[in-house]
Amino acid sequence: MIFSYELLAQAIVTGILIGGIFALISVGLSMIWGVMRIINFAHGEFLMIGMYIAYFLTAKAGWDPYLTIFITTPMLFLVGALIFQSTIRPILKDPSMNQIMLTLGLSLILQNLALVVFKADVLTSSTAYTRMNFMLGPVVVRGSQLIAFVGSALTAVFLYWFLQKTESGRAIRATAQNREAAALVGVNVRTTYLLAFGIGSATLGVAASLMIPFYYTSPTVGLFFGLIAYVVVVLGGLGNFIGALVAGLIIGLTESVGAAMLPGSLSRVLTYSLFVVVLLFRPQGIFGGKQQ
Amino acid sequence: MKTVWTQKGFLIPAGALLIAILLPIFASEYALHIAVLVLLYAYLSTAWNVLGGYAGQHSLGHSLFLGIGAYTSTFLFTKIGLTPWVGMWIGALLAGLVGWFVGYLCFRYGLKGPYFALVTIAIAEAMVSLTNNINFIGGAMGLEVKWLGNSPLLMQFESKAGYYYIALVMLVIALWLVYWLSRQRFGYHLIAVRENEDAAEALGVDTLRVKIQASILSAFLTALGGTFFAQYFTYINPRNVFGEGPSIQILLFAIVGGLGTVWGPAVGALVLVPIAELARGWLGGSFAGAHLLLYGTVMVLVMLFMPKGIIGLYESIRQRLKRGSSAPEEERTPA
Amino acid sequence: MSMLTVSNLSRYFGGLAAVVDMSFTVEKGEIVGLIGPNGAGKTTVFNMLSGFIPPTSGEIIYQGRRMNGLKPHQICELGVTRTFQVVQPFPDMTVLENTMIGAYVRHPNTTDAKRKALETLERVDLDAKADKLGRDLTLLELKRLEIGKALASEPDLLLLDEAAAGLKDTEIEDILTLIRQLNREGMTLLIVEHLMKVIMNLSHRIIVLDFGKMIAEGTPQEISQHPAVLEAYLGKDE
Repeated sequence: MIFSYELLAQAIVTGILIGGIFALISVGLSMIWGVMRIINFAHGEFLMIGMYIAYFLTAKAGWDPYLTIFITTPMLFLVGALIFQSTIRPILKDPSMNQIMLTLGLSLILQNLALVVFKADVLTSSTAYTRMNFMLGPVVVRGSQLIAFVGSALTAVFLYWFLQKTESGRAIRATAQNREAAALVGVNVRTTYLLAFGIGSATLGVAASLMIPFYYTSPTVGLFFGLIAYVVVVLGGLGNFIGALVAGLIIGLTESVGAAMLPGSLSRVLTYSLFVVVLLFRPQGIFGGKQQ
Repeated sequence: MKTVWTQKGFLIPAGALLIAILLPIFASEYALHIAVLVLLYAYLSTAWNVLGGYAGQHSLGHSLFLGIGAYTSTFLFTKIGLTPWVGMWIGALLAGLVGWFVGYLCFRYGLKGPYFALVTIAIAEAMVSLTNNINFIGGAMGLEVKWLGNSPLLMQFESKAGYYYIALVMLVIALWLVYWLSRQRFGYHLIAVRENEDAAEALGVDTLRVKIQASILSAFLTALGGTFFAQYFTYINPRNVFGEGPSIQILLFAIVGGLGTVWGPAVGALVLVPIAELARGWLGGSFAGAHLLLYGTVMVLVMLFMPKGIIGLYESIRQRLKRGSSAPEEERTPA
Repeated sequence: MSMLTVSNLSRYFGGLAAVVDMSFTVEKGEIVGLIGPNGAGKTTVFNMLSGFIPPTSGEIIYQGRRMNGLKPHQICELGVTRTFQVVQPFPDMTVLENTMIGAYVRHPNTTDAKRKALETLERVDLDAKADKLGRDLTLLELKRLEIGKALASEPDLLLLDEAAAGLKDTEIEDILTLIRQLNREGMTLLIVEHLMKVIMNLSHRIIVLDFGKMIAEGTPQEISQHPAVLEAYLGKDE
């Protein structure tokens, strides 16, 4: 690989844009962990469901990809809430390993169900946004990625506002900080769990719709993004909202700059190594780790 | 842990062994294929169980060791013609070394539970990416074990029976080893570490060392299975040995059968693998992933309704029968 | 030379002082009581003596050997075993197996360890429950198991953390008898206890901690009349 500053600049721009999406994919996972101390190993597969919905609405029904947000988001909330209620709620008090195994099982189910229903085909939808690129000096900015970045940022701001200013949001934060105390001051912990899991999943609906113009859909797409989400969430500190956003950008940059500098797909090794190092030496994440 | 079979109860495993030895006489090649898979996964799950079940350190990236075993012996075989019979030990030693390193790193820094699980996944996934980019071991294309005709000295057989007996011997040795260990100080120390690390440490158990030893042993055994895996399927690539799929299959049967029990992994594989393989056979290409769908469903159901697995269920039924109708305990009613 | 010599031991958590400049000795064959109001730092002292947390400064010498920096399992091997205030059983192991973990310290062979464990269980009156799982025990049984596990490791110095807390009077009586008997057989004990009657009854010597500082040391008689002690207890606690 030949090094050039143009290439590096390109990598940095792409990295930041992709990092925004990584952050959006991760805040939900982080919130779920913060509230109920569960790592949802099917997180990536939830995203996959959203992407299939968005794909079919766009490619087959001719919707504008960004309009699908109004379908994917409530759908993902529903999927999350249903799965939480039926499988995760009963094991909330079990050892963490059982929870991991259960959600890992869920991810296997969803992934292979998708394989059965949609086959292993990699689906790409070419929308008007896909080719909407422009130059910024020597750097190509992909319009769809820029929109995704802005969309992610807006969603994060909205989520932050929701958590800070609304009754439900405050209930979620209170529960994350101290379950017993929250219950004492009248927070309905059961409902709050459901709500947190639903919202955590719904953010993936937004992400899915934003990604459709520039990313392919396949049954295994959740594998990669799931892993990225764990990396981001751990890096930012499990349960740390702002941390997840910053870490999303860091991982986006690592992936993208790594891909420009390293041969083949070795940038992945870099990302995972970063992850392992952070887990070993700063398991509370690089930003402390307490819920903000 | 209570032992599952009393001395007298050894009739069951002994009988099972006898049937297993005689099986190739009357089984078809297809049935033998399924039997080989049962033995292989029972073996791998037993190896995982040392660290995951007994020591309670749940590795979700054991494919790392499977892959090291598979790649080492296959690389040595294809490049310098070294027989897998020797290569498997080199792979196992290498895996043991990596098991030591990973164990040392994780446990030295006190990683537990979900954190340990995440690190192991990440390391295995990093290995997929790494091997994808190393060309002299075939990159993403992987390596093929060249067929040189029926040659037991190269661990290659015309009939499935050859593989079958190798897998059987490996499983019997692994089971015996775990059974024996579970009666030694080391075995009790493993469980003590799982059950309560502080209490174990206060009672003179070097918990760090015990966990690292479990990691080494588990990695070593898994890698031996990796060589067999490569020889049997004659083809390996980064995704199918280092990937998430094999990692899950390695631990699945221990969970279904019963974590931290001698027979759990074998029982789990015996129950589950044939169903999954038959499903795969019947539904064929139109239903790729059928067996994984089944595995996922089983994982969810087991965690919801019998988190202690088949052996745990058997134990609690037995306890209840023994105690008559007196207070049923620790059974969870599903919500 | 004293069996255990603690000099200038301190421990800070962040800026907070849990134990400050504490010095004391324990002689072979003694029962020494460590008392103090809630949060006085007793358990922190135990955690340092048993190697669970490192001291910020100071020195712990046991049988002429410096114990700072040793891990809990090494300290146990040297002959100092602790119990926990909040009982720490191995829930999925039987009572016998729980006790065997302790017994393995001196008996690496399983048959010997089993024999030693059974012997110990008789002493703590749990032999009838040997096959019960740790998770199925009552509080009294758990308290006994906590002592049993530690005894099985055959310590020369036993650190008992609130062995009688939460028990009824008759049950406490049993434990007192056991402790005295152990002491008569030559075991040295350092005990943390909340119940004054237990500690006054049992100890040859008492050390009083308040807010991490040693405020008094002496025989039970001396302590019960010590002005600083009276103030510490009557002043704020209970």
